[in-house]
Formats: sequence, structure tokens, C-alpha cells
Amino acid sequence: MLPSRRSLFRVAGLAGVAALIPLSGCAGNAGQQNGVTTLRFMQNKPEVVNYFDQVIKDFEALNPDIRVIQDFNEGNFVPGLVRNDPPDVVTRGFAKATADFVKKGIFADLSDLPAASTIDPEMQELISSWGQYNGNEVSALPFSLAAAGVIYNRDIFDANGVAVPTTWDEFVAACETFKTAGITPIYGTFKDSWTLAQGMFDYVSGGSLDSAEFFTRINAKGADISAEAAESFTTNFGPALPQMLQLVSYSQNGASSKNYADGNAAFAKGQAAMYLQGPWALSQLVSANKDIRVGTFPLPVTNNPEETKARVNVDMALSITRNTPNMAAARRFVGYLLEPSVVNTYNEKNAAFSPLKDAPPVTNPQISGLDESVRKARYYQGAGTYFPPSVPLHNYIQSFVYSKNGDQFLAALDDEWRRVAERTAV
Amino acid sequence: MTASLLPQRRTRVLTKRPSGREGFKINWWLTALMLVASLTVLLPLYFTVAMALKSPDQIGTGTGLAWPNPMNWENFAAAYVATNFPRAFMSTAFVTVFSVLGSLACSSLVAYAIARNWNHRFFRGSFVYLLSAMFIPFPVIILPLIKQTALLGLDNPAGVVFLHVLGGISFNALLYIAFVRSIPAELEESARMDGATTWQVFRKVIFPLLAPMNATVGIFAFLGSWNDFLLPQMMIADPALQTLPVVQMLFQGEFNTNYSLAFASYLMAMAPTLVVYILAQRWVLSGVMRGAVK
Repeated sequence: MLPSRRSLFRVAGLAGVAALIPLSGCAGNAGQQNGVTTLRFMQNKPEVVNYFDQVIKDFEALNPDIRVIQDFNEGNFVPGLVRNDPPDVVTRGFAKATADFVKKGIFADLSDLPAASTIDPEMQELISSWGQYNGNEVSALPFSLAAAGVIYNRDIFDANGVAVPTTWDEFVAACETFKTAGITPIYGTFKDSWTLAQGMFDYVSGGSLDSAEFFTRINAKGADISAEAAESFTTNFGPALPQMLQLVSYSQNGASSKNYADGNAAFAKGQAAMYLQGPWALSQLVSANKDIRVGTFPLPVTNNPEETKARVNVDMALSITRNTPNMAAARRFVGYLLEPSVVNTYNEKNAAFSPLKDAPPVTNPQISGLDESVRKARYYQGAGTYFPPSVPLHNYIQSFVYSKNGDQFLAALDDEWRRVAERTAV
Repeated sequence: MTASLLPQRRTRVLTKRPSGREGFKINWWLTALMLVASLTVLLPLYFTVAMALKSPDQIGTGTGLAWPNPMNWENFAAAYVATNFPRAFMSTAFVTVFSVLGSLACSSLVAYAIARNWNHRFFRGSFVYLLSAMFIPFPVIILPLIKQTALLGLDNPAGVVFLHVLGGISFNALLYIAFVRSIPAELEESARMDGATTWQVFRKVIFPLLAPMNATVGIFAFLGSWNDFLLPQMMIADPALQTLPVVQMLFQGEFNTNYSLAFASYLMAMAPTLVVYILAQRWVLSGVMRGAVK
């Protein structure tokens, strides 16, 4: 028995070594070869690969000593960290998940980058409000800001003589006008619960409540919240719910069986006057109907037009991984990406807002209605984005929309929040 | 005619269940059922082809069942360019070919060794050990695996091949072992009488007899490897070496999907699978009787 086992091990060992020898040859990353530094640039939006291909080509022409490889496979970011070989430059949508990476010190400090001073401080605050590494580091610079509001069909508005509403009462009056004219005021896509979260839930709560401040308070309170507490969802979100239900009542019949793709197709065909979606839907609307004329306005939830705010999210934020061996080249590349000609052009082409202080006003008629809100920093990050993924918020919103039981909804949020806070308390 | 020659017992059974051979009768109920069942394959295939030929504004109109008119053949060209199809195809083909060959070779060897040494405790134990691997959900171990393969310089398609072969051993060996056991030991003994070594016995006698099972394992290995998304997505560090299923993510943004290009690309990626499946399936059917002993 013994010799046979030994020979078995020997064969296994030899086979293993034989398998590895030729492979290790092709491994090993060429960071620097013949004086040319190779940068890996991971960006999070597959639909803009072509734009960045062109940007990279221009950059390489100006910087012959740097070569940039673009990778849109964002799923490889965490594995890259695990194998201690992450991409050098990363763009990510900036919200809770990316903030967790920031808190662990994955990204380098960019505060001394010359381009950092050209960024609108209000937009930088959208990132730093999630927490900064060492309390003061700038781990990410905004590259593109997506602002969302109510997308409306300009032709339907014009045909019914409805102006863009600036107060809640005007908004309700507009809905009533459309309803009387037999037009669906708002196209609902309740089957995709995320559309409810980013749409009515974020819009109504964000317009009536300082979500950033609220979540700072509730996070500080920890597992100690009860429904009666000043920090609870019951106390703070209660007033928003009737307005949400009013929005539901202006949606078409059968909205609960329509998903996001259905909504895009139907709205593009003019089946409703308004659509609670962000700028990401615009390209889908245009591809389904290239003649559609749409605009966007921030949903007014009070009767004071000064208080109307837009929902924003940092769609792309630039970071450099802390341990990159190519720091100097990576900083040059990030600096180039934040040059006005690059960053402004990108945002102009993709219906988004540039983060630069002196960015030109937005002329794209699809989103120009949000320009004033963004320039005056009347915006908020959606309340839904502050929730940890372990709270199934979207499903709770969906069941609230179906059952219309607000007390149950808010009690569930309070319970869920407490449960997660207890579990994650340090 | 032939029915009258059949023994009485058999005919009685046949009269109860008329078959084509007896009276050239067709079981219409069963045929209808099979036709409906075949729709589960044909309908999605139809949608894939139709979708691949639509222009963006044709997608949103109608029920989706209508055949696009005019047809947009340029979708295929656009998808071909966008995914850098030849490169991704070669990478996927590399992974698949070597995974299939590796699975066939390794799993059959393992199965032969275990099946013929069943009286040794070590081999019985190793069988249980291999089987136990089937109870470990893959996503649980993926991050440690990534770390390990990176240390070994295997964060490339070769590493994916390695893990496909390794990961397939437990299930494939299970299939093979049952089959090797059904091969009578006398065949092997006669080869040994003629002076064959253990390797020659395996190579000349056992492996050819495993043909039907090779086809089964080959099909599983091919499909698993060709369609695998998670492992290449997370393991292959160099985007230039990425496989087709991962590259095809290009058409799916977070909020927008380019359906026509995506389906054109899926169709191109699916073609080899379809071809191999049709060919290999025939082979399995013809090979079923091949292991019979005279």
C-alpha cells in the first residue's frame, strides 16, 4: 500500500508542476515596458466604452509614455483587490457600496491633484458626505452627475396647454387636466420595484426632508430607535406617504404589471404625459422613438418653488487605487479626464451634469429643466441609496404601493433598520 | 406482417399501446405533447433570431412575435466589432476545448483508478472525498480560489481551464465510475493475458468502451465551459483575454440594454453550441450499445 501511495503522490506532484511551468510564463503584469507605463482603467458604464476609447486615444497621443487599457468588467474589481492587483484608475457610481471601499482606504488621496480644485465643492460634498478616509482624504472626484426628476412629453404638455409645474398644487392640477383629457398623467412601472424607490419614494422624501441629515442622525442613534423616536422613519417619512399615494393614483391602470422596459416603450409612444425616471431612460426613449420631444423638471413637493430639489447621484467618480505602482501616470490620466474638454463633453453627450465649477450651462433640452436646481445646489441623494442592501427597501415600497398601508410600511422600515443596526453594531 | 411472428405476450402489450412498428399508427396525443414541448426550445430560439434582426424602434412595437421587416443584418456586424468577436471567440474556444479534453482525460482516469481499486480503503475514501466536493456551493469559495490562482499565476484563461477540469471531476467521475463498473473485468484480464500494462489496458480497452459516457461528459463539459460567466468574469485579469459571455455584458448597462445587438451577439455565441450539441447528441444515441459484451 505504501509504495503505491508514494508513487501516486509523485505522479500528482509532477503533473502539478508540469501544469504550472508553462502557465507562469504568461502571467505577471507588464506595468512598465520599454519606458511605457501601462495603466488599467476600469470604468463602470459599458454603454460609454466607445467614448472612452476615443479619450484614451487622444490621451495616448499626448502622452506617448503611457498606454491605457480600458476594462468595463466591473465585476472584476473585487477579485482585483483580492489578488492584490486592482486596476490603477477606477470609475464607480458613488454611493454606499463605494463609500465602504473608501472607508477601508482602498483609494489614494487626490486632494493635492490640481484638477481637484476645479471641482464644484457642493458636488464634492456629495461624495465626502459618505465619510472620508482618515477624516480628510479625497478618495474620489466626481466625473459625472446624473440628475433625475420628472421626464415629461413636451408635445402632450403643449397640446393640453399645461406649463411645467413649479409647486405641488400646480403639479396636481396638471395631473387632473391630463386625467380629464383622457391621458395617463404618470406612467407607472411598479413591477420593477427599484423604479418606485428611485422615483416616487426618493422624489417625495428628498423634496420634503433633508435625507443626508436624517441618515446621519439615524446612523448615530444606532440600534436604539423606536417608532416614537425623533430619528425614526415613522416620525420623518410619515408626511411624505400621502403624496406618494397621490402619485400612485395618477398612474395608469395595470401599472403593477409593467416593468422598466415596458415603461420606456410606452412612454416613448406617447402613452403618458410624465414619467418618474432619471436621465438613464432618455437614451432608451429616443432609441424607441427618435422624434420624441421630452424635458425634465424636478418634482415640486411643496408649494414653495424655492424648495424644489432634484434627485442626483454621482454616476461616475474617479479614483486611483492606493497601492498602484503607476501612481504618477495614473494621476496624469485622471488629470486629463478632468480637463474641461473631456469631462464637459462627456456629460453633454450623456445627458449628465459636469462637476466642474465653471461648467457651461446645460443646453440639452431633455435635461435643461434641471440645470437651475443643479447650479444652485438644490439637490439631494435619494433616500433609498442610504439603505444597506440587507434591508429589502424596494420590496417594502412596492408592498406599500399595493396595500396603501403606510403605518405598516414605516413600522417595517423601523424594525428592519433596528435589526440591521443591532447586527452590525461594533 | 412482422407482428404475427411476435410471441403472444408481446402482441398483447402492443395492442394496448399501438406503436408505429406494429400498425404504423401514430400516437397523436403523444405527438401533440411532444410538439408543444418542442415549443419550449423553438419559441425562445425564434425570439432570439427575430430580436437579433430588429432595429431599435422595431423592438418596442407589436407583440414581439412579428418577424422584423426590413431585417437589420448590420446588427451582426456591429456586435462583431463591438465585442471584438474573433478575439473573444478564440479565448472562449481555448477555454472550452481544453476544459473538455481535460475533463475527459482526468475524470476517466480518476474513475478507472477508483472503480478498479474499490477494495482499497484509500480509493473508497477518495471517492467520498471527490463526491463531497459537489456539496460545496461554488460562490462560497470563489474569492479564496481567486487569491490562490493569482499566487500561482493562473489569473488567465489557463486558470479557468484548470478550475473547470478540477471542478468537473466530482460529477464526471461519478458518471464514469458507474459505467466502468459495468465493464466486465474479464475484458481487462484478457488484455493482461496478452501482456498489456495498466496504461495500455486503460488506453486500448477501457477508454474506447467509455465512448458513450465520454460523449455525455463531453457535452456537459462543453456547455458548462462555453457558457460559464462567473469564473472567467472574476478570474481573468486581462480584459483582452476575456471570454464571450463576459464580453457580451457590453450590451447591458445598468439601466439600458441594447437588445438587438445583444441578441445578435448571443446568436453568434450560441452557434457553436448548437452545432456541437446536435452532432454530439447523435453520437450519444448511436453509441449507447457500443459497450455491450459479446
